[in-house]
Formats: sequence, C-alpha cells, structure tokens
Amino acid sequence: MIRAEGGVDGNVDPASSIVRTNLRDKDLTRPDRIARALFLVAALVPAAMLIFLAVEMIREAIPAFIYSGWGFFTGQIFSFGQLYATTLSHHNGITAPHGAVYGAFPFIFGTLVSSLIALLIAVPVSVGAVLALSERIPRRFQSGMSVFLEVLAGIPSVAYGFWGVFFFGPFLATHIYPTLASVLGFIPIFHSPVGFGEGLLTTSVVLAVMIVPIIAATTRSLLSTVPILAKEGALALGMTPYETVRVVTLPYVRRGILAAAILGWARALGETMMVLMLSGNLLDRLPQNIYGGFSTIAASIVDLLDSALTDATGMAVHALAALGCVLLVITIATNLIGRLIIRRSTGGVPLPIGRGI
Amino acid sequence: MRPNRLPSRLWGVALLTVVTMLLLAACGTTAATHHKTKKKKSTTTTLSAGNPSSPVTLTEAGSSLLYPYLQLLAPQLHAAFSNITLEPAAGGSGLGISDTIAKLTNLGGSDAYLSAADALANPGVLNIPIAVSSQAIDYNVPGAPAFLNFNGKTLAEIYQGTITNWDDPQIAALNNGVTLPNLPIIPVRRADSSGDTFLFTSFLSATDKTWANGPAEGTTVTWPAVADELTAVGNPAMITVCKATPGCIAYIGISVENTAIEDGLQEALVENKAGNFLKPIQSTMTAAALAGASATPASLTQSLIYEPGAQSYPIVNFEYVMVQAQQTSATTAEAIRAFYTWAISPTGGATPNNLAADNFVALPSVVIPKVEAAIQKIVG
Repeated sequence: MIRAEGGVDGNVDPASSIVRTNLRDKDLTRPDRIARALFLVAALVPAAMLIFLAVEMIREAIPAFIYSGWGFFTGQIFSFGQLYATTLSHHNGITAPHGAVYGAFPFIFGTLVSSLIALLIAVPVSVGAVLALSERIPRRFQSGMSVFLEVLAGIPSVAYGFWGVFFFGPFLATHIYPTLASVLGFIPIFHSPVGFGEGLLTTSVVLAVMIVPIIAATTRSLLSTVPILAKEGALALGMTPYETVRVVTLPYVRRGILAAAILGWARALGETMMVLMLSGNLLDRLPQNIYGGFSTIAASIVDLLDSALTDATGMAVHALAALGCVLLVITIATNLIGRLIIRRSTGGVPLPIGRGI
Repeated sequence: MRPNRLPSRLWGVALLTVVTMLLLAACGTTAATHHKTKKKKSTTTTLSAGNPSSPVTLTEAGSSLLYPYLQLLAPQLHAAFSNITLEPAAGGSGLGISDTIAKLTNLGGSDAYLSAADALANPGVLNIPIAVSSQAIDYNVPGAPAFLNFNGKTLAEIYQGTITNWDDPQIAALNNGVTLPNLPIIPVRRADSSGDTFLFTSFLSATDKTWANGPAEGTTVTWPAVADELTAVGNPAMITVCKATPGCIAYIGISVENTAIEDGLQEALVENKAGNFLKPIQSTMTAAALAGASATPASLTQSLIYEPGAQSYPIVNFEYVMVQAQQTSATTAEAIRAFYTWAISPTGGATPNNLAADNFVALPSVVIPKVEAAIQKIVG
C-alpha cells in the first residue's frame, strides 16, 4: 500500500510529502538491497569525511597544544625556532627546536577582525542592494542586475587577489586612505601612515566584495517569504515604500539577515588565497593601524608550510595543524550557529553552500 | 502507520565501513614502501656513471640561486647523455631539502646544507656540492654612489630595525666622505624557505652576537619586527621589489646579480674577516672557498661564510644538490651518478664558460675526492 504523508491542517510542507511505502525488509529484492546499501554509504560519506578531517587535524595538533599550553591562544610570538641549532628545547614533555614559541594571538586577531570589518561593510551593501533590486528597480532590469551578483560569486579568489595587489590596493592607498586619514585621523587606528595598499582595510574591503553575493542571495530568498498582504496593507495605510521596508519587511527578515551575515562571516574566515596576496603577511605583530599589514590563520598556514617541512622535529607541522584546528573550530561553530538561527526564523529556506577558499 | 525504518544495525555497518575505508587509506599512504634492493655483484670498486640503458627523467626542485645554473646545464647534460633529461624547478632551498627527504623529487637544489637535526633524522640523504656560489648585498638609493661599504654588524642592525635611515652615522662611518640622503631604509627579505636567507643569516650570526643569539641562521628564521620590511618570494622577486622601492636593501644570489645590476640596483662591498671590503667576484669567491675547503668533512656539510684571508669574500657557499642515497631503480641511480660526475668535471658541466655565466666558481680540488666518494653511495 502506498500512502502520502501530509499535515493535519492540510498545509503540506513540500519537503516532507515524500511518498513512503510500508513494504517490509523481507519484501525487497536483492538488487533493491544492494542499491540501498550503496546509497547509504554514499549518504554517509560527507559525515565520515568531516569526522575523519577533524580527527586527523586534532591528532596532528595535540603536540603543539601540549607544548604551548594556553599560551597558544594568548602568545604574540610565533616562531619555529632556530632550526640549525644543535640544541633542542623541551617543554611539557614535548621536544621542539631551540627557541620555538607558538603563539597564535596575532593570527586569531587578524582572522576575526578582518572578517568583522568585511561584514560591517558587506551587510548594509548587500541588504541595500537586494532591497533596491526587489523594491525599486523596474522589473525589466531586475534579472540583468541579479546576473552581476551571481557573477561576483563565481570569480576565483586568486583573481580578486591579483586585482587587489595591482589595481585596487594602490588605488585605495593613493586616493582614499589619505582622505580617510585626514578626516578620521583623530581616531588612533585611522592615523597615518597609510601604507601602499596591502593591509587590513584593503583586505577587509575585498573580503566584503566577496561575501556580498552570499548575503545578497540569502536575503533575496528571505525577502520572498515576506507576506505580500502585509506589504500591501502598509501601502494602503499610506506608508511610503521606505517606511514599508523599515516597518514591515525588515523586522520580518531581521533574524534571517543575521544568519546570512553569519554565513558570510564563515566564508570570510576561511578565505586564503586573496588574503595571502593582500595582507602583507606580517607575522608576530598586530597591525599598527587599520591600513597596516597583518596575517590570518589561513594565509599563514600556506605561507609557513614550506618552512615547516624543514623542521626535523616535526613540531612546526604540529603548530600549523594547531592553527588549522583553531580555524576549523571557529568556522564549524559559526556555520552551526548560522544554520540554527536561520532554521528557526524561516522554516528551511535553502542556503547557498560556501565555497570555502 | 509505522514508517519503514532501516534497522539500526545496517546504519552502524555502513558508517563503520566508510570510516574504516578512509582510515585504511590514510594508513596506507604513511606505511613504508618495501622494495627489493638488488645486490650489485661488481668486481670493480667504482659504480658506473654513464648513459643509462633506458631514458630517465631527473626532477629537481629547490634553490632559486642554483636554478639558472641548472637550466644552463640541462640541455648540455642531455647532449652528453641522450637518456638523461634533467627538469629543474625553483621554489626555495627549504623546498629542495624537504622534497628530497619526502622523496617527492629526485634531486633537491639547496644553498644550505642539511641541518644537524635533519641529517640525524634522515641518514639516507646526501648533500653533494656541485659548485661554489656567493651572495651579493644590493641597494637602491637614488643619488648614492655604487659600491658602498657594509659590514655584518651594520646589516644586522638594519634587519633588526636599529638603523632605520640611510643617513645614519654608522653607515657614514664605514663610507668616509660620502653623504647619503635622508631616506628610510626598507629591508627586503625572502618570504619562502630560502637558502639565500640561510647564507645571509649565517653571515649575520658570524658577525653580530645579538643576531646569533636571536634569529640565528636558517632557511627560515624569526625575523625581528621591522616597520617597513618587505618580503619577496624567490631571487627574481627580490630584484623586482628592490627596484620598485627607493631606499631598499636586499640580499641577492650571485647567479642573478647581473640582472640586478642591469635593472639599476647598486652592489655593496662587504667587509670580510680581514677587514677588507670586497665585491663578490670569482677571485674573491675562490679565495674564500680555498680557505674553508680543506676542513670539509666526509658528509660535505661545510660553511664557507666569513672565511679568513685578505681576499676572501665573506658570503660564499657550496651549492648543494641533495639526493637520497638509496634509489628505487639501478637506472635512476646510474643517471644520478652520471649527472653529478659530469656536473663537477671541468670538461663536463663545470666549464669556465658555464661557471662564469652565473658567477660561480669550481669546487676546490681538495673537495673533489670527498664528492666522488659521496657519489659512490648513490645506489639503486
């Protein structure tokens, strides 16, 4: 017998009206059983990959965590030590090169701050862009404009990096930053020197450009869930379109935008290639001002990997794995929180899968 | 109606299968590979180093200082041995060392010898020099004369951020009579794991106590935080960055020094142990090599930095090509032995023209027997 499932009040959620059979196991033929087993295995591969990745990463990172203790998160100096020295250093039972200190605070700071600034720029821009697209721009232009958003999402990270290093960074440094420094110079972080274009602010701006498509796409889906009746009612009451947006639309999707922002932030956290090219790769120091060079976890792992392989004790690789572990934890936590919030506020709007690099 | 649930046993089996497969795959890649080593029944004491019986491609990765020289040698090698093709690549000496250790490449070019820890952990890796090279200190100061004098201590202080401007009295004291402009010094260093960094930091360690106790020497060191410091990947990039930055100072491998001079960089004279300020030219490099070569041990791990002698340039080094002593096949081993033997021979690779093209000099003759003994250890 075949039965379709539906809710009590007849409001069928498309995602759940799967046709279920009540055939029992013994009624399945052999090919059915084989197919089911294969599909099971395929379905479990993503979960198994995540478990496998996390387990291997943590295993590789443990010696570095033991060696550095809590100093790993608070220490400001990250040094592989003197790899050509004949003495080794021992700490908490772990052997590392002489003078090796693994303190990841500047990287954690750089990762979080650059993503945060990117978010502060990207959220108003994407929400504004999407509102303009759906509310103000004439319908015949809407699909054309939305094509730009989709194209932005598909541009490879290294192309952004190249553009940033040779065009955008120098442009910002010669035209925008001096004005910014003179206008906002009384705030310490906006003070000169403005550098040559590679640094925290430039990287954050390009990061913002990269995460706008994610936030915009999610916001677009969210806006389509706003009941048209409420908007029409607001217009009938005499509200201007701006007031409609402010009073009806935005409160309805506020939590969803927050979740979209969190997803965009998760994307920005893991961004590697572009940051490697634009950040100035300054190790061991926090940036002096908002224009200064800095480093993130992802870019530093790439930058330091070659050097880490020359460490005979292997501790350098453990230290990089520890950095990766920290990033993994931050990113997974961010993703989970974002998805939790979005599910509670919208009832399952499909989300864009982040590209991750 | 009871929904059709799969028995939990099946879920468990499926998950177990998948995780086991993945773990097995991981273990498989880290397991040692066994191979049968053929015992060579040879009545002669020297292993052959001629054209192998079948075509062999030798991959090389590493030093960007050695890279132009190997690019020069590769076609000549192929002309001498039709079955040997050498494929050089750059990437930094650190990469050359780690790739050779990990068996990702046949040969690893490096300006730095194996560290004591690396040699202990990998007794099967040989570092075999094929030439003697050096390093120049170049600067870009518009209006300054060429050939400014520098010594190790001043360079160490520049790279530690203690000396920040070209008109600093310490630089003026080394160059009496020269007025330098008020221009911030912008030191440039290598970002990749670099043999040139090893040479430069070895020189700084030999001449400056603070540097020796702090960053010390290495293909990768913890550079002191200097405000305007720039980074570059590879020797050619050092030239590009320094050329574009007035006030810069950089350490550049001798093989690309001609390009640096053509691009408008100025070369410095560096003070040696005897107190003379010298250029990195073939005569001063030979003097340093001869001064240090006789102390070379059988492992060929020998520094030629800051050697005594009136005419010894202070930043000179053996150019090493790393290799695993145990090769997987006899033909590859023969090809590698042929490469080394040909490369060090004055009628093969180490001709005066080849050496002069990259400002290298030949290995001192006292080292040659030790090099040949090392070549004999390459078996397959």
